[in-house]
Amino acid sequence: MTSVTATTDINPRHPVGIPRRSRGAAILALTRAESTLLIRNRTALFNSLLLPVLLVAFMYQTGALDRPELNTGALLITTMAIFGLLFVTYYNLVTTYVARREELVLKRMRTGEIGDFTILAGSAVPTILVSLLQLAVVSIAVPFLTDLKAPTNLLLPVVAFVLGTVMFALLAAASTAITRNSETAQITTLPVVIVGTALSGVFFPLSILPETLAAVGRFLPATPVVELFNLGMSGTSRDGSQVSLSESFTEALVPLAILVVWLAIAGALAARYFRWEPRR
Amino acid sequence: MTKSEMSRTAHTASAGQEQESAVVVDGLHRRFGGPTGFEAVRGVSFTVERGEVFALLGTNGAGKTSTLEVVEGLSKPTKGRVSILGLDPVADRWAVRPRIGIMLQQGGFPSDLTVTETAKMWAGTLSRPRPVDEALEMVDLAQRATVVVKSLSGGERRRLDLALALMNRPDVLFLDEPTTGLDPESRRNTWRLIGDIVAGGAAVVLTTHYLEEAEELADRLAIMHNGRIVTTGTPTDIAADYPSTIAFGLPEGQSASELPVIAGCQVAQSEPKVVLHTDQLQASLSELLSWANARGVSLTALQARTASLEEAFLAVADAGDDRDSSQQATHHVA
Repeated sequence: MTSVTATTDINPRHPVGIPRRSRGAAILALTRAESTLLIRNRTALFNSLLLPVLLVAFMYQTGALDRPELNTGALLITTMAIFGLLFVTYYNLVTTYVARREELVLKRMRTGEIGDFTILAGSAVPTILVSLLQLAVVSIAVPFLTDLKAPTNLLLPVVAFVLGTVMFALLAAASTAITRNSETAQITTLPVVIVGTALSGVFFPLSILPETLAAVGRFLPATPVVELFNLGMSGTSRDGSQVSLSESFTEALVPLAILVVWLAIAGALAARYFRWEPRR
Repeated sequence: MTKSEMSRTAHTASAGQEQESAVVVDGLHRRFGGPTGFEAVRGVSFTVERGEVFALLGTNGAGKTSTLEVVEGLSKPTKGRVSILGLDPVADRWAVRPRIGIMLQQGGFPSDLTVTETAKMWAGTLSRPRPVDEALEMVDLAQRATVVVKSLSGGERRRLDLALALMNRPDVLFLDEPTTGLDPESRRNTWRLIGDIVAGGAAVVLTTHYLEEAEELADRLAIMHNGRIVTTGTPTDIAADYPSTIAFGLPEGQSASELPVIAGCQVAQSEPKVVLHTDQLQASLSELLSWANARGVSLTALQARTASLEEAFLAVADAGDDRDSSQQATHHVA
C-alpha cells in the first residue's frame, strides 16, 4: 500500500457548491458497466437479444401475421415492438434490478452522489437500447420481406413505444417487490408477459373474443401500445375499420389515456414498493 | 463524560461552531416499523472534529450501524438532529454526498465486473473522482485490477469497498467495520491509510469489533449498548474509569480467607485463582507482596495490569440487557 500524501488530497476549503457531475455522465458510466455485464451473461444476452427476434421470424414464417384488417409488414413491426417491451424491457429489467438488489449493488450505489432515478435509469439503458435495436433492425428488414404500406400516422407508434418503454420499465421496478431472486423472475413476470401479450391483440384481434374478455384485454398494459401501432401503421381502428390521418388522432385518445393511466399506476407501485436491499 | 455532558457539548457545538465540527449528532433516535416498532437508537449524541477519528464500539445489535446509517443520511432520524460540515445529510444531500465517503458493513458489487471496471463505474458517478489507478494503489489492489469481483477474497472485496469510499477525496469518511475479514497485514495497511487520510484533515467515523483497532486509531470513542452511548472519551480515559487487576494463584494449603484486607481492593474471585480489582494498583500490589514476603508465601502466575479498553467493553457487554445495570457499569465493575 503506498503512503498517500493526504494533505494534497483533502481540501478543507472546498466550496459547498462543488461542480456537480451531470446526470448524463453518471448514467453513461452505469450504462457502460451494465452493458459489460449483459455481454458477459450469455443466457441474458440470448434471451433478450435473439429470442424475441426469432419468435417474430417464426410467426412471420407460419403466416400468423397475415390478417385481413392489417398490413402484414406493419404487424411484423408491431409484434417486434410488443415482444421488445415485454420480453426485453419488462422481463430483463425485473431480472436485472433483482440481481443488483440481491448482490447489494443497489444499496452500495445509494451511498454515492447520484439519486435513485439515475441509478435505476443507468441500469435500464442497455436493455432499452436492445429493444430499440431490434425494432430498428426489423423495421429496416420489413420492406425487403413483404409489402409495407406507408404509415397513416407515424407519430402514434413512436409515442406508444416511448411511453410503453417507460411504463414497462416502471412496471419492472414494481414487480421486483414480489420477486425474491432473479430465478423466480421467470414466474413473477408470467402474468404480465403471458396474459399481457395473449390479450393484447397482437396474436389475434380482440373483437373475436367474447365481449367481457375483449373488454378486459383492452385495459391490459400492452394493448394500448398495439392499438396505437395499428392505428398509426395500418390506419386500422380497434373495431377493424380504416381511418384517415385526422381520424387517427381522435381514435388514439382512448388507448393513449389507458397507456397514461398504466404509466401512473406503474410509477406509483414502483415508488411505493421498490426495495433497495434484500429482505432480511 | 456523562450523557448530559455529552449532549451539552453537542449543543454548544451546534449553536456556535457548526463550521468547525465535521459531524454533530444531537439526541438521535431511530425507530423501525412505526410508532410501536423497535427503537434501535435511543438518544445518541456526539461530535467529531476535522482531523479526528471517532469510533463507535458495541456488542452486536447495540445500534452502531443503525446510528451510522442515519448520520450518513441514508435514513431519516425518528427524532434528533444530524449535521455534517454544517449541512443536513438528508435535506442537503446534493451538497453533502460529494464531500463524504461511505463504506457500508455490507455493500456489494456486480460479480462479473473486474476491479477496474467497478472502480470506473463508481468514479463515473462522482463530481471529483481520484484517478482509478491511484485509488486502487492506495488499497493495494493495483495488481488485482483485471480480476472479476466474484474471484476476489473477502478481504480484497473489503479493500475495493474502501477504495470506492476514498474515491471522491472525502472530507468526512464513514467506515462500518472496515477491517472485518482482513488479514493482519492488510489491517495494518488500512490503519496506516486511515491515519494518512486523517492527517490530511479529514474526519473519520468508524465502527469496529476490534478493541485494538479502536485503541490504535480512535482519538475518541463511544461504547454503545441497547441503542445508547454508555460511555465515551479517549481510549485512555475510558480505561481509567475501570479498576486495575491483580491475579495470582495461592500455594497448596493456603486459603483465600487468610489474605489480608487491602484498602481499596475488592476480591473479584477467590477460587481457583485469586483476582483482585483495585484503583491503586501500585499501593495494593506493594501491600500484597509485603504480606506474601512476611509469610514466606509464593504467589504463582502473578499478574498485575491496569485496565484496558477491553475491561470497559466487557463491563458494558456483561451488563446484559438491563438498561440500569448497563449504566451503572459505566462507573463500577462488580
